Amino acid sequence: MIELSELRDSAAKAFPAGSILPNREESWQLASEMGWLLVDLPEDLGGLGLGRAAGAAIIQELGKVLCTAPLVPALLALRGIAGAPDFDGKAQLVERICGGEYVPLNMLPGSVRAAPDGSLSGLVPGLFEADMASTVLVGSDDGYRLIPLDAEGVTLVERPLWDESRRIFDLVLAGVPASAATLVADGEAAAALHDEIARSAMLYVAADSLGGAAATFDLTVEYLKMRKQFDRPLAMFQALKHRCADLKIALTVAEALFETRAAAADTASVVELGAMKGHATDTFRLIVEDAIQLHGGIGLTQEYPVHHYMKRAMLNLQLCGSLDRLQEVTGRAALAAYA
Amino acid sequence: MTDQASPDTLRSELRSWLAANKPQGWRDITDHKAFADSQKQWFLKLVEAGYAIPHWPKEWPGGGRSLAEQKVIYEEMAAADTPRLLLSFISTYHAYATLHECANDEQKTRYLPGILKGETWCQGFSEPGAGSDLAAIKCKAERDSRPDGDVYVVNGQKIWSTMAQYADMCLLLVRTSSEGAKQAGITYLLMDMKSPGVTVRPIEQIQGDEEFAEIFLDNVEVPVSQRVGEEGAGWAVAQATLASERGLTLLELSNRMRGALSRVAELIREHGHAEDRGILRDFGALVTQVDAASALADRFLENRIAGIERVGDASIVKNAYSRALRAYSLLGVRLGGMAEQYRAPITFGDLNTGNWMADFMNSYAWTIAGGSEEVQRNIIAERMLGMPREPKGWVL
Ligand SMILES: Cc1cc2nc3c(=O)[nH]c(=O)nc-3n(C[C@H](O)[C@H](O)[C@H](O)COP(=O)(O)OP(=O)(O)OC[C@H]3O[C@@H](n4cnc5c(N)ncnc54)[C@H](O)[C@@H]3O)c2cc1C
Repeated sequence: MIELSELRDSAAKAFPAGSILPNREESWQLASEMGWLLVDLPEDLGGLGLGRAAGAAIIQELGKVLCTAPLVPALLALRGIAGAPDFDGKAQLVERICGGEYVPLNMLPGSVRAAPDGSLSGLVPGLFEADMASTVLVGSDDGYRLIPLDAEGVTLVERPLWDESRRIFDLVLAGVPASAATLVADGEAAAALHDEIARSAMLYVAADSLGGAAATFDLTVEYLKMRKQFDRPLAMFQALKHRCADLKIALTVAEALFETRAAAADTASVVELGAMKGHATDTFRLIVEDAIQLHGGIGLTQEYPVHHYMKRAMLNLQLCGSLDRLQEVTGRAALAAYA
Repeated sequence: MTDQASPDTLRSELRSWLAANKPQGWRDITDHKAFADSQKQWFLKLVEAGYAIPHWPKEWPGGGRSLAEQKVIYEEMAAADTPRLLLSFISTYHAYATLHECANDEQKTRYLPGILKGETWCQGFSEPGAGSDLAAIKCKAERDSRPDGDVYVVNGQKIWSTMAQYADMCLLLVRTSSEGAKQAGITYLLMDMKSPGVTVRPIEQIQGDEEFAEIFLDNVEVPVSQRVGEEGAGWAVAQATLASERGLTLLELSNRMRGALSRVAELIREHGHAEDRGILRDFGALVTQVDAASALADRFLENRIAGIERVGDASIVKNAYSRALRAYSLLGVRLGGMAEQYRAPITFGDLNTGNWMADFMNSYAWTIAGGSEEVQRNIIAERMLGMPREPKGWVL
């Protein structure tokens, strides 16, 4: 059994701290060679069967360097494909993915409608790095479908993001012939699949956020130790020390909740994992806010890296349900639990 | 005895034990002395059943429990609405840790068994002029000889000493020298509270309780054999006392707070807020904050059991808990509205009572006592993050 700490170590070695925003194609290649697409895949499908927590441990490390390889949408799609009832070509597709083909799942809710003749139309936002893919797994209120990007009626539209560590696309479907798409799950099967994917998604976005938060925090403390004003390092001013201590507390608390929920991710409810994701992303937000402020002018430049973390933090807050939504759902569930 | 019981077995065993034995009506006690008596009885009952000191090692009856078992005990105690062990808090944590780690065999044999018989301890560290700057203590001890052995003659004043008015013994920090670094002149004594010259005066607390007290020491004689560690080495011993308070106790308290989230839920329903999305969000955020503080306390204890603890870890656990406690009671005050501004009888021995103003005021105990929130931040920043200390040598 591979320990999570070994996975973390090898991820940190492959993507060393400090070299942020590594090249996207090379990173993807490396991630695939490292076998990271296999960690969560069951053994009977050729994977390592280490579960979601293993994926999360790797993603947390990659988050530290704002890795541009889209491991999160790929792992989510693979969980969906692997967890779906058998469909034609399933084994071959899994094999292709294991070999390094990028098949993403949309990271934002999509809307797809089938016309009476079965042809599909709709809008599916939130496809990360879709220009690297030839097939995508589309999750919508209408089930899960594999859609080849070269099918008739399919268009990809890039939507430039503030977060330049990622590229995101809308998938526009305009009368895609029924024969082009593969229905992977609908009805109850889709609902069950949705929960399974949501568990992983909450965990991975939280992992990415906490990796980013840790890196941003370290960067800030180092900067304060180095930068001198009023004849002393800024790190000597108690007002700033206390802010750093508060951020350290917030980060450690968020990591503890993350690790606890990650260890129980297969049995925890989607609501519990969502609460954790909300908390982790909000902690990332808190840390990037102070990080920019404590850097002074340099924090507002394109040249200095801290802004990249802030942009990723703000985007992560929007994925898998907003903080407001997740908190409300958590409150509702707790109210019911204490009935 | 339940030494090797699995957590599930322990849980069901504990549930039936609690159903038959848990104290009734303790929330209605309005007299502090009666409260102290009820605390003692409850503690002795728990000792007998093997649930009082799950965090002690297994040589002690009821000790040596795994983390999972300790959690079960605290969760079930909170769920059954039993009182927190306030009276024996210093005895079972601070006194135990100090004696266990730093005392000689004679002192251990003399005092540890007494704790389980209900002997209670208080902590005489703080003084009017020495709070956060604890090393500035002035309470003076001078050595003198007596026919039956040397003694320290102690003069001075201690303050904020929790439950000192009911204590049999005191963990006392005194100054035996004013030469050199101020830490170097501190000595650690175990003082009998019934010694001639000890006067205790309870202090009325913000919410009307008398939880802490002043201790006046007028030529009090403490035998030299009651000293822990060498003369002048008391500062290091005091760290063992303080370390037990920051962190370890919070596993119990955060689990109790988790159990008490039901009080907030009740309030939300009673006031008709069950469909108010803003309030549901605030509640959701609180639930997550409390869960996270508990997860951290768990991890801290796991690490401690595994022998991994870094400087500053306990400070983080303490601040995480105290912030969650403040947030918990503040939400209660807010949701309770005007009703919480009318004075209502307080409950002794619990931090999450549902008397929201009282709970809110009491929550400050955790941001001030045992090293204030600000002092913990200094520790985290300077000793954990390596941020430089301010230059010394400033004079008033
Ligand atoms: C409920 C309760 C129970 C207690 N029980 C005990 C007990 O049993 N035994 C015992 O010995 N003591 C006890 N104490 C005392 C407690 O340890 C002290 O109150 C605490 O250490 C703070 O000291 P102080 O009250 O003198 O405040 P001060 O030290 O005067 O602090 C005042 C304010 O200044 C801040 N401050 C001080 N120094 C710094 C600094 N260097 N940097 C930034 N901010 C700073 C503090 O955080 C605080 O906000 C108890 C206190 C309370 C509230």
